[in-house]
Amino acid sequence: MNVKEGKLEEMSPLYAYEEGMPWNPVEKIIMERRSIRGFRSDPLPDAMIERILEAGRFAPSAGNMQPWRFIVVKSREMLAEMEKDAVKVIKFFMFFMDYTKGNFLRRIVAKIYAKIFIRFLPNELQPVPFGLMSQIAQGQTPVFHNAPTLLLLVEDRRGVSCPPMDIGICGQNIVLAAHSLGAGSCWIGLIKVLMYLPKWRKKFGIKYPYRLEVCIALGWQKPKADGMVPRETQIVEWYDKGLNDAPQMKKQGE
Amino acid sequence: MKIKYSIFDRFRIPAYDKSSQMQTGDLIFDPEKCNGCGTCVQICPGGCLLTETTTKVDILSGKAKGGKYGVPHVVQMKKGATLCIACFDCGTACPRGAISIKHNFNPGYHFKRLTQTSDMRYPKRG
Ligand SMILES: Cc1cc2nc3c(=O)[nH]c(=O)nc-3n(C[C@H](O)[C@H](O)[C@H](O)COP(=O)(O)O)c2cc1C
Ligand code: SF4
Ligand code: SF4
Repeated sequence: MNVKEGKLEEMSPLYAYEEGMPWNPVEKIIMERRSIRGFRSDPLPDAMIERILEAGRFAPSAGNMQPWRFIVVKSREMLAEMEKDAVKVIKFFMFFMDYTKGNFLRRIVAKIYAKIFIRFLPNELQPVPFGLMSQIAQGQTPVFHNAPTLLLLVEDRRGVSCPPMDIGICGQNIVLAAHSLGAGSCWIGLIKVLMYLPKWRKKFGIKYPYRLEVCIALGWQKPKADGMVPRETQIVEWYDKGLNDAPQMKKQGE
Repeated sequence: MKIKYSIFDRFRIPAYDKSSQMQTGDLIFDPEKCNGCGTCVQICPGGCLLTETTTKVDILSGKAKGGKYGVPHVVQMKKGATLCIACFDCGTACPRGAISIKHNFNPGYHFKRLTQTSDMRYPKRG
């Protein structure tokens, strides 16, 4: 289930559907895109980054407001400093909150108030980011995966309805375009921790109406890691009879 | 659809390190196929894979050399939970197809997943 170099499978043409046909190129990219966390040290060529950004510029957005601002960070010095500072902030928070590590006393005491914090910030401190931050604080994994380029997606909070949705759509256009060109990418929400430091808010001009909550790491995959994975099946409700009939429950993916 | 999410679930935060309150991902490594190259260890988002001789940071920093690190395993915390989210990014990167998922990630109580089943399937062509 791996896309290795030189292996070209049969693909269906675009704009056609037949039951059970092989994936078309767009579907193939969607299914085989993986978050890439190992990169070559040389960045993508600037022209290629510009081409990838075009996919973002042409994303749909509520009211066609395009509530985004793009920042490309290629400076090695800056990337190193961002990594250092993000680790610092995460270490600070985890010093108080990480009840999964350390001695017995620490685990008991920290757990009491960690659970209170989790109640107030259930999304930021959900088990997955919590575990990731714990590992980062222990020096077990980096924040930005040593990517040679970070693409910051800055949100203009004055967008129509729900601008974070527009940011997500715009970013996923960028990600899919990047993978279709043979590059690799990884969404990184943890860039948020840099916003606790006035230094980075100032540097990137993040004040009202702007907000920075996510960035995309971009570069050449090393190792090549795109490929299909299994995912949980979903129960889907199909309302396909009368107004008062119960929906059909179908298992999606089976 | 009957969604099973009680008031008790809603207000109870699970202990993140306890396997009795959280189902975390777990993998099976086929020792016949694995050549100990360490690719999966390097690629795991949280650094939750180890071998006897190396860790993710060792590989990233170049401290680990040689590419013969032994068969990896998923690290378990004291109370049994792992940090594996069953993303299977390690599985696609593995050049030998040596990894498979034992069970998926499904945190407990407040965070439990409601319409996903634990059956994991590859994309299906309808
Ligand atoms: C909004 C968003 C934020 C994310 N933040 C991070 C992050 O901070 N660090 C990281 O390693 N991966 C991050 N990811 C990647 C997810 O972990 C990844 O998409 C998920 O595990 C599924 O794996 P796949 O992308 O290979 O299918 C993020 C993904 C999204 C959509
Ligand atoms: S499935 Fe994902 S989280 Fe689990 S060990 Fe593999 S790469 Fe790491
Ligand atoms: S990537 Fe595959 S072959 Fe290499 S160490 Fe991991 S399981 Fe073994």
